[in-house]
Amino acid sequence: MLLQDIALVVRSKNAGPRRLTLDIMFADDAAYARAVASGVLNAGRIARLYDVAEQEIDIIPYPIGRAIKISLPRKVTAGDPGDRDVYGAQQHAPLLGIEI
Amino acid sequence: MSAVGRIRDAFARAGAGSMRLLGASGQLGYGIPSPAFNAGLARNPHLIGCDMGSIDIGPSYLGRGEMATAPAATRRDLRKVLVAARTHDVPLVIGSAGSAGARPHLQATLDMVRDIAREEGLRFRLGVLHADIPKERLKAALRANEVRGVDGMPALTEDEVDACTNLVGQMGTGSFQRALGEDIDVLIAGRACDTAIFAALPAMLGFPLGLSTHMAKIIECASLCCVPGGRDTIMATLDHAGFNLESMAPNRRATPVSVAAHSLYEQSDPFSLQEPDGRLDLSQAHYEALDDRRTRVSGAIWHPSSAPWVKLEGARRIGERAVLMCAAADPGFIARADEILTAVAGVVRDLVCEDSEEDYSLFWRVYGLNGVREALPADAPLPREVFLLVECIAPTRERAAEVVRTTKQYLLHHGYPGRLSTGGNVAFPFTPPEVSLGTAFKFNVYHLMRAHDLEALFPLEIETL
Repeated sequence: MLLQDIALVVRSKNAGPRRLTLDIMFADDAAYARAVASGVLNAGRIARLYDVAEQEIDIIPYPIGRAIKISLPRKVTAGDPGDRDVYGAQQHAPLLGIEI
Repeated sequence: MSAVGRIRDAFARAGAGSMRLLGASGQLGYGIPSPAFNAGLARNPHLIGCDMGSIDIGPSYLGRGEMATAPAATRRDLRKVLVAARTHDVPLVIGSAGSAGARPHLQATLDMVRDIAREEGLRFRLGVLHADIPKERLKAALRANEVRGVDGMPALTEDEVDACTNLVGQMGTGSFQRALGEDIDVLIAGRACDTAIFAALPAMLGFPLGLSTHMAKIIECASLCCVPGGRDTIMATLDHAGFNLESMAPNRRATPVSVAAHSLYEQSDPFSLQEPDGRLDLSQAHYEALDDRRTRVSGAIWHPSSAPWVKLEGARRIGERAVLMCAAADPGFIARADEILTAVAGVVRDLVCEDSEEDYSLFWRVYGLNGVREALPADAPLPREVFLLVECIAPTRERAAEVVRTTKQYLLHHGYPGRLSTGGNVAFPFTPPEVSLGTAFKFNVYHLMRAHDLEALFPLEIETL
């Protein structure tokens, strides 16, 4: 099953102008547990999808919100020349097709 | 007696009652829906608060000193909350005035507030907190090695400090308390931590700072913590052991999961929030349903900081921006877009740099291929149409316009292998397709500065209207 079919929310947003935060939220505990247990949302996978160094990625499971938070550096500071997404609100797309 | 004085008096007399705080708007100036706002007023709140700014909107507003919101909409929202607060004699607290909270933003907001007060016949004591950081103050901190980049921001130099057109610090709860202690009715602050808007007064009344700050962090976004999330007014009822959340829009439900999940929003870490005066620890936070649309929250812990660090935001001019907008539907063009654009950029450079140096930057965003993400996934089919946004940043407006106008002409007529459409490579939705967008800015300060002088850093002015 793909992440986009099992998640309730898959979103991205700036956490300050230098970092991007990705939130994956689930409708129920079973879906959350399945995503966490699958282990596919790991730093190595995110590093490849977003082309950033693995050690700069934080992955925080947040069971109370049935969510997994991923934060990573932005390649371009928000609003700098060449930026493509000042708010960082459309950087979630690479996650949607992850097989859980 | 002022509105703040009245509330402090009431709590001093009544002892440990609960406090009702109304989060009127998460972004003042984009409209406050009246039904939910009025429903909140009917509950007799002890404070009305509104956040008015953010760093998310990018460097231009800070750099230019302009608001992100439309003046008419901003004025309408300000009128709504000012009239409500004065009619009910309730303190009104507004943070990060005018989108970015520097002097011009604060002044523009205050001009509106004074106009509204005159037009509506409102009389009140207004506290104003300034957030502008003097450049010499920051340079002294640099020389004392008391400045740190946030999230890998490059080390700051004195030249960069001088280049800022606006430079602000995020003031915290302590600064707001100093203002509220001056017996005022309305507080309008420059750049501020959004939590200070709602945490300052309850903390002064003796409510725990951890709970007050956690509550503030949630209600500063109005009903965003609900399902469905939205901008309707929210009410928090705070006591000494926790707080209850209820949207003032009947269709929005604050559930334990939706409220807990709000701690994820625009934050790197849902368990920890760093503020100038300390750190909010949410690792023990507990969320419990009161009914199907109200949630009770408890367990936040506050760790005070003995050596405050203030987060600074500064923006500088980097040039003048012009863009060209056009589109293509030719499959041959779309397949070769990258190669065509690179060739056209070379042709343009050779022409516009014939008698001057290459003093500009040109950026292509081909929507359909790489407008939002850097590259299309390898297995993705080519789109049927693409939109091209060609951007130039150059030292002057004239130079930027020259580059995009030249680019337009050579992009239109560029010959490439296999080309069939010799009438022109791109479609213009209107002419002229080139637009000058004015001065371009970038964030050049996003740093922490050690500050032992918070009181002097964020000066307070009192004005009687």
